[in-house]
This record gives sequence, structure tokens and C-alpha cells, in this order.
Amino acid sequence: MYIMDFEVLLKEIKASLITLFGEKWGDLEGESEKDIEQFLKDSEEKLKRWTMLLVNKDIDLEDYEWLVKSQKDFMIMQALHSAGVHKISLGHFKNKIVGAIVNIVKVVIL
Amino acid sequence: MKNIKHILIVVFFCNLFLSCNSLKTAAYDQYSFQKSIEIKIDASNLIDKGTTSYTDHLKDIGDLGLEIQKIIEYEKNKPNNEVTYAMWQVLANKDKNLLVGFFRRWKDKKQLKPFFIKEAKKQIMDVMDLLIQYESKKDKETKEKLLKLITNN
Repeated sequence: MYIMDFEVLLKEIKASLITLFGEKWGDLEGESEKDIEQFLKDSEEKLKRWTMLLVNKDIDLEDYEWLVKSQKDFMIMQALHSAGVHKISLGHFKNKIVGAIVNIVKVVIL
Repeated sequence: MKNIKHILIVVFFCNLFLSCNSLKTAAYDQYSFQKSIEIKIDASNLIDKGTTSYTDHLKDIGDLGLEIQKIIEYEKNKPNNEVTYAMWQVLANKDKNLLVGFFRRWKDKKQLKPFFIKEAKKQIMDVMDLLIQYESKKDKETKEKLLKLITNN
């Protein structure tokens, strides 16, 4: 029963967010929809748990709002982490290219 | 003559790659790694006390705040360290709902609910793990090469 209710709630949240973004940033609607979907997909388990805690009055609405916002900040940290790891990989790739060039030069020219 | 031209082209591209600052990342730093773990553990212990009065823990919260300020200053001044610095800035922003944001909420509410603490703590600990894991992924080769250079001379 609860899971069914949550699915309805999730759909309503998504629809409201897409409408809200569409009204405010019409040109970005397509991209925003993808971002919203990604956010909800990544956050679904947590949102379910927090909604259950709210329904059971284990947390209040302010707590709930705080946690949902923390998820947004969590994703900022994930994005930074991914960007950093990607940069490290590119750095390694760059070093390999330089090494390969030097080795080829040693063999062919010197 | 043709060979010299080739060598010059190769040297040019090597220089181009090596001087590409946007791809440089600060080397692994044992101090940063260790300090981040210490802050995570201290924060974890303090967060658990969130059900009690904020004013009872002013000294411990102040001490933790000072440690966070120190590491931020340290990370800020390391070259090619933008990502780690940006991560610490998010954690230390009282308007964001993570590490320092938690202590701000505790201050505002004076005491927090156990379920809220449990959920908030998981969020904070998970992002601190991201920070620690990122440090551990940084290049250890650079440091090892430097140490080799120092010991060989």
C-alpha cells in the first residue's frame, strides 16, 4: 500500500518539477527533464525512506526538506568526485602518450 | 634535416602535453588523507550527540570547525588541487546541507531527532568517503619519483 502511494507521489513530484522548469526555463525543458529524472532515479530509495519517516512522524517536514536538499548537495559532491577521477585518468593517458612518443623517437630516430 | 624537423615536432607536442595545466592533479598527500579521516571520525562522534543540547558541545564543535578551517586553507594553497578544495568548500558551507550545515541545523534546533540524525549522518559520511577515496586515487607515482630523485642525489 505504502509503495503504491509512493510511486504516485514520485510521479506527481516529477510532473510538478517538469512543469515548473518548463514555465521558468522553456528552452531548457528537455534537458531539465533528463536532470530531474536522473535526480529522482538516484534518490529514489532515500526519498522513499524519508517519506516513510515523515508519514510515521519520526521526522518533521523541516527535517524532510533538509534531507532532500542534502541529496542535491550530495550529487554536487558526486559530480566533483567524478570530474576529479576523470581528470586523473586523462593525466595518466597524457603521460602514456608522452612516454610512447619518446620511445618511438628513441627507436626510429636515435 | 628532415630528422631534426621530426624531433622538433615531437618535442613541441611533448611540451604541449606536459604544460597542459588543465590535466594536472595534485599528487597524493598523506597529510590530506589522514586529516580527512580524522575529521570524518570526529564529525561522526559529534553527530551522534545531536540528540543532546547543542550548547553542551560548544567546545568540541568549535575544535572541529577549526580543524576544517585548517584543512581548507591547506588544500586551497596546493597547486592543481581545485577539485579537493571545491569538495571541502561544499562540506564547510553552512548554507549547504552537509557537514557544517548539519551543525548549523543543530544550533538552530538546539536538539535533533534520532531518525533525522541517522539519515543526515549517512549523507555526510558518504560524501566524506568520496573525498577520502578521491585523495587515495591521486597519483602516487609523482611522489615516489620525487623521493627517488632526492635519495639518488
